[in-house]
Amino acid sequence: MSSADPARAAIRLTDVEHRYGDVTAVGPIDLTVPAGEFLVLVGASGCGKSTLLRLIAGFEEPTFGSVRAAGEPPVPGRGAGLVFQQPRLFPWRSVGGNVALALKYAGLPATPERVDELLERVGLRDVARRRTWQISGGQQQRVAIARALAVENPLLLLDEPFAALDALTRERLQEDLRRVSASSNRTCVFVTHSVDEAVFLGSRVVVLTPRPGRIALDLPIGLPRTGLAPDELRGRPEFAALRAEIGAAVRDRSSSEVSA
Amino acid sequence: MTTSLSAPPVVSTEPALPRRSPLAPQGGRRRRVALRLLALVILYGLWELAARTTRNPTFIPSPGAVWHQLIQTSTVHDGVRGYSGHLLIEHLGVSLRRILIGSAIGVAGGLVLGVLMGVVGWLRVVTEPVVTFVRALPPLAYFSLFIIWFGIDETPKLWLLSIAALPPVAVATAAAVQGAPTGLVEAARALGAGRWAVIRDVTLPHALPEIFTGIRLAVGIAYSSVVAAETINGVPGIGGMVRDAQRYSQTDVVVLGLFAIGLSGLLIDALLRTAENRLIPWRGRL
Repeated sequence: MSSADPARAAIRLTDVEHRYGDVTAVGPIDLTVPAGEFLVLVGASGCGKSTLLRLIAGFEEPTFGSVRAAGEPPVPGRGAGLVFQQPRLFPWRSVGGNVALALKYAGLPATPERVDELLERVGLRDVARRRTWQISGGQQQRVAIARALAVENPLLLLDEPFAALDALTRERLQEDLRRVSASSNRTCVFVTHSVDEAVFLGSRVVVLTPRPGRIALDLPIGLPRTGLAPDELRGRPEFAALRAEIGAAVRDRSSSEVSA
Repeated sequence: MTTSLSAPPVVSTEPALPRRSPLAPQGGRRRRVALRLLALVILYGLWELAARTTRNPTFIPSPGAVWHQLIQTSTVHDGVRGYSGHLLIEHLGVSLRRILIGSAIGVAGGLVLGVLMGVVGWLRVVTEPVVTFVRALPPLAYFSLFIIWFGIDETPKLWLLSIAALPPVAVATAAAVQGAPTGLVEAARALGAGRWAVIRDVTLPHALPEIFTGIRLAVGIAYSSVVAAETINGVPGIGGMVRDAQRYSQTDVVVLGLFAIGLSGLLIDALLRTAENRLIPWRGRL
């Protein structure tokens, strides 16, 4: 309820720092994400972007500072859907059973119709009764997204969900995610190391420095969210300009670290 | 590295696999059955040979004598019912019933204990040495204790089998529960699963293949312990029958009893394996 209140930020990180032992992985970072935004975190491998997402999901607690989702300390499984780099489907359940489990945990009726509906939203048909290993990797990741979408959480967190997929599948899933997010109007945080993916998906892109991850660039993406075909969007001059700017920031930051 | 890379690219394995796979297992299976039959025939021949050369049926009874005992113990002849008043199938049935009840109790106890050991840290610390201790004891060693406690009827036998069957299941379950994959546990928690929902929907299903291995082990141990359990007041029972036959030097009956135990054991293991394949289609898919 409270998350729908526009005056309240969906996510607010205040002075957040996270350490693993003596190593500072992230921070200090201040970041406010208004409701409805599609935020993409970009950075080289090991810059702490996944840690940042885990902090927002509530799987980790910050060493310093505070993390708030809808005004409260985040708790896993409450208020946020999560998609990992691997599908992480339960092989002892059918494809539909995986989606049904999410509905069950949320206390929603897990009818076959509802499950099919959710699977169709991510472009899957007639797979509900298949075993998880009988569908392709791309389809598995779609199921994982359907599972995360099953509950109408105000927040959707995605940790490099398409990194392990082939280029073609990745592009199709990016398009589908863009469509789904535009229609559902929930707040998304998407972690990636692909600049192209960031510009294509995000309404705002934050570039992180290499370890410890700090904000190097915070850029709104002014591209239209609807009404444009993916190819048209990618063909726009603004798209290329943004990609160049963000790409430069990512490269700049990683190389400066190396030369230092 | 280089060898795997330099594998001849001409023989592309991918299209070849689906063409060969429908035939290969069948051919392999037929071969396997033929091989096993051959081995059986050779064993039979060796047995017959050994019986004829030793000429001592008390030492090595001939296959024919054992076959004759199978008929004798399975029928009522001269007013005598089977062996010691019970047909072979009845002896076997009583033993199987003991194994079934004993393993069922042992497996249930092992499951509960194993889950608790896997989930509750301090309980594992306390119980692990005890379970290992019991596991190291030969069942016959604590049978005497059960006789003192529970007399010589069914109770001590069932206790023996239950206690013998419990440790393998408990150990396998505890290990598997502890080894629950973090990725899947996190996935469940991200969907809103609580502590017990995680155990029910992730930890236990993930542990099921290993639990099943533990169950097969447990049934095997119960099987091998039943003869020990039936050394005292074991008739009817296949162990009691073997024991009595040994006392009267009826080696053919002893051998027959061994066959009855071994063959039924094979059958039950096959049943368990079939159940396993049916219940755990995801085995090896993680």
